[in-house]
Amino acid sequence: MKEKGLMILCAALVVIWVSGCATMEPKKPVPYKLTSQGTVIWEDEFEFMPPPPGWKLLRPEEGGDINFGFMRSDLGGFPSTTTFAYDEEPFGCTAASFEGREKEFFKRFLFNAILNFQVLDRKEVQVVGGEGLQVDVEGKDPVRGEKVRARVIFGKRGDRIIGFYITQWRPMDGTYDTAAFDIFDKFVKSFKFLKKSFYETL
Amino acid sequence: MEGHQRNLYLYERFNARVVGVSRDDVTTLKYWGDGLGVTFPLLSNVTGFLGTYFQIQPEGKPIFGRRTVIIDKTGIIRYVRDGSPEFKDILLFLKKLNQEGGKQ
Repeated sequence: MKEKGLMILCAALVVIWVSGCATMEPKKPVPYKLTSQGTVIWEDEFEFMPPPPGWKLLRPEEGGDINFGFMRSDLGGFPSTTTFAYDEEPFGCTAASFEGREKEFFKRFLFNAILNFQVLDRKEVQVVGGEGLQVDVEGKDPVRGEKVRARVIFGKRGDRIIGFYITQWRPMDGTYDTAAFDIFDKFVKSFKFLKKSFYETL
Repeated sequence: MEGHQRNLYLYERFNARVVGVSRDDVTTLKYWGDGLGVTFPLLSNVTGFLGTYFQIQPEGKPIFGRRTVIIDKTGIIRYVRDGSPEFKDILLFLKKLNQEGGKQ
């Protein structure tokens, strides 16, 4: 009887503790809303086509290298992942031209992975309603037996250069999934600024 | 520092100048600044007295903590923030100071 009473007390305490947690944790408002056209409006500032289900949202808690992005784990185990993001402040700071910014950017891009990058393609593109530059690269690390394929797209928002990029990691003998790059391209193509940036309003 | 470099044109607009201070020696700072493409002055303060002055010198450590300080034209410290710079916050503050009458 005493044991039963103790169990009920424990269960009650667990319920109180769990419900306490539930009430202490305020529900965080999501920074986006879905439109009837299937696009996402992010913080009333950007509109874009999201990736299909299966991609996880990436959102830095504080600062960080990107504004937001998406990632998914791919078949094949580590390091097989694909990540893409929008970045209001891509690496680099002095160059006003896309070509100059490209040079600055690739000094820092995936810096900690210590890769040998090879440029696969470089072309002028239209992005967010203006001129842009798209650079496709592949980086390899023969020591760890890993490789990464990346596409970086530079565009402009007001006077400042912004960037989109996708990285797809694979083991050295792995195969890239080009469909993920198509999803990224759709995301970039659909991307719109709904208002002026903070810097344009100063 | 990259963020400050990106915002130089806005600092100019608000009549502000930016200076970086580090305990690295001059040669190290030059390589570091050139690598990043920083064009504003970087001050080498190997002895660390500026860190003591601005109370950002951790005891027994050879580096400064990160602190952003805005000093107005009359020499009064108007803004102090520790950690990584909050660039939007800094720009709004400089804009306000500039509107007050170009005091910074």
